[in-house]
Amino acid sequence: MSNMPYPEPGSASDAAFIGIGEIPSGKYPTRGFMAQLVEAAARAIADSGLKHTDIDQLVLIPNLHGIPDQADLIFSRVVEELGLHGRAKSSMMIHSGGSTSDNATRAAAGLIASGQARNVLVVQSEKWGSADLSAMVDMLSVNGIPREWEGTSGLQFNAIGGLITQRYMHQSGSTPEEMASVCVALREWARLNPNAMWKDRGLTIEQVLGSKLVADPLRAYECPYLADGAAAFVMTSATEARKKHDNWVRIAGSGGCVSHYSSGQDAELGELGWPKAAVEAYDAAGWGAEEADLAEVYDSYAAVLTIALEGLGLSKKGEAARDFHAKRFSPGGGFPLNTNGGLLSAGHTGVGGGMALLVEAIRQLLHRAEPERQVPSAQRCIVGGSGGSYMDAQIMMLERVEK
Amino acid sequence: MSYIENSEQLTGPFGEALARGELIVQKCNSCSELIMYPKYRCPSCFGNDLDWHAVSGRGQLLTYTVLRFGAPSSFDVEPPYAIGIVRLEEGPQLTGRLHPGPDGTWDHYRCDEPVAFEPAEAAEVAQRPAAWFAAPQES
Ligand SMILES: [Zn+2]
Repeated sequence: MSNMPYPEPGSASDAAFIGIGEIPSGKYPTRGFMAQLVEAAARAIADSGLKHTDIDQLVLIPNLHGIPDQADLIFSRVVEELGLHGRAKSSMMIHSGGSTSDNATRAAAGLIASGQARNVLVVQSEKWGSADLSAMVDMLSVNGIPREWEGTSGLQFNAIGGLITQRYMHQSGSTPEEMASVCVALREWARLNPNAMWKDRGLTIEQVLGSKLVADPLRAYECPYLADGAAAFVMTSATEARKKHDNWVRIAGSGGCVSHYSSGQDAELGELGWPKAAVEAYDAAGWGAEEADLAEVYDSYAAVLTIALEGLGLSKKGEAARDFHAKRFSPGGGFPLNTNGGLLSAGHTGVGGGMALLVEAIRQLLHRAEPERQVPSAQRCIVGGSGGSYMDAQIMMLERVEK
Repeated sequence: MSYIENSEQLTGPFGEALARGELIVQKCNSCSELIMYPKYRCPSCFGNDLDWHAVSGRGQLLTYTVLRFGAPSSFDVEPPYAIGIVRLEEGPQLTGRLHPGPDGTWDHYRCDEPVAFEPAEAAEVAQRPAAWFAAPQES
């Protein structure tokens, strides 16, 4: 249970999301890493109502495509690119794979709460969609997987997805059709998102089940597509937010559980860290699944999402895939979920997949989504992230504040 | 006090046992915890008096997959091949390879069904030191 003193709402130590920026995800070979990053940053700063020179703290989200670009992030190239040299107090990187955006949020909010930063820019860029596919397969197979213990069995990322999906289907009795319906629902949301990789292409259960097996029981259309993309947000304190804005988004609480490093060492492959993280997050926030208006939850494979939804209490145990099949999580269904299309249909931009979900949550709560997918009067959103071999479950409880 | 100084010391005995056709896991001499994957410190009592322990090789298949595309190039095996996570009778669990059945497929495997350690041939173990398992009926 949480024993952490959360900041008083509206106080100088209460962190406030005030702006977001994003560029379309997909395959954009001519769009450079730094160009993407600067564009997303500029859009977020403009959305926040601040000037670029108001940013005193950069929190950078790493890329997973190459070391030279990573070095540019580490060694403050972004500070110069944004005209902040001689002005910024600090530039740093936070990294925990797919849950990075959640941990970057924690770091940014902590810096604000402790008075160490005024206006924090968190920004991410990734070039997975244009990277050499076999190089990415190799990179994702030797990193985040224990080389000595699981590398020797030929494990890689789709195989981890296959292992988790097999276990989930066994425990829940979910059918291939029900699992495929998860991807179909996400595609329906992606069709409403101009930034989504697959905004122009529909998807049916029959198409999913007709695609080739990749890592049993996973089929090709159930695996995420690597994409280029970039996203950013600006955070300040509630007292600063109040000066320029009528509404903003605050963090009501968070929860987390790092359940394992190795896939083979997770004792509960059908649960991951979600149940424990949810207890902590809901206790901290004072509200939970029943009170949420929407959720944005990490979804690199369908089973990763269904397991999370059950752990979060957004579906009954074993029922999440059937809930998708019954259209509960589709546009127009009972509960809006992954309204940007998720990693599976907006595009897997590496660490940016979680970032895109987080940015969509903020966008929805600021009521700045395109009308077709804006959740009417959205007040509360549960954000869930997970990194590596689903090593952790990170939950951010976000709520809209009106002045 | 001596301690395990590198990953070769940590992993070497496991691969050497596989080469002899045996499956071993790490054991803490202080608290008797069986540990898999081996660690530099016992995760239970945090001691470093660590040894090895032969196990039965019998266990339960928690989950499995057949990888059909995208094998890591460093792995150097042409797909398809099958990977499983096995919870051993003695408690620890580990990832390993699954032998195909007589029909060349892995269709006969099911989650939560028994499997047993059945070492691969020496050349395979030398190149890729992994524990291999099979469904008992075809071993
Ligand atoms: Zn011990």
